[in-house]
Amino acid sequence: MKDWIIFGVTAFFLLAAMICYTTAVIGAYRFGFVMNRMHAAGIGDSLGLLSVIISTVVATGFRLDALKLILLILFMWFTSPASSHFLGQVEYYTNPHLFRHVDRLTETEDKTGQQEE
Amino acid sequence: MSVSQAYHILFSAALIWFAVLLLAMLIRAIAGPRITDRILSINMIGTMVICCIAILSRLLQETWLVDVALIYAMISFISVLILAMIYIPNRKSRGKYAEEVRDEVRREREWLTAKQAENAKESMETIKEDTAE
Repeated sequence: MKDWIIFGVTAFFLLAAMICYTTAVIGAYRFGFVMNRMHAAGIGDSLGLLSVIISTVVATGFRLDALKLILLILFMWFTSPASSHFLGQVEYYTNPHLFRHVDRLTETEDKTGQQEE
Repeated sequence: MSVSQAYHILFSAALIWFAVLLLAMLIRAIAGPRITDRILSINMIGTMVICCIAILSRLLQETWLVDVALIYAMISFISVLILAMIYIPNRKSRGKYAEEVRDEVRREREWLTAKQAENAKESMETIKEDTAE
């Protein structure tokens, strides 16, 4: 009976992760601009990965590899916003038609223009 | 049906669904109109592969696959970082033409805003003429 309860919890979290990732992929197709797609991809990066890791940790039990999986969550939660930030910078420096999608372009242009290496 | 069989079916179904989503993101990466779309799709594919490896480590009962997932996460982050750094001109590791691209984009943007202002002025004048008549 206890095994089946653990199986139910695992299945619940895995289904939640599947829903998160499906939402992220649908968002990547439905949104028309990179910044909006970034928002959709963030769902999969944060909540989807968390649900998958919780389901695997619950299924295996708390052993040493569970610690490694938690380390994996922490790593992904730190790196995913950083990569989003750099992608936004790339979009700013390479897209001339940015003002069609983004408001108040001139203010940000003044701020980033002052940055030096 | 025993518990191990149920686990096997559950994780196999999850892996198959992940394969479908991976294929969809690969199509997005090929079809993405700009470079940032492609980099974003590659980032997303990396996250999904990490999830696949984590599920696989439970399915095959092999704990060393978790180490592979960790290394994969690091390499995926570094690949996105390097691809982005090529186009950011304020960095030391910038590409050869990053500054030229930035200047050209800036010029084109100014030209577009000037054109937009001109169009707005013209439309305002026509509206004024219409109301005067």
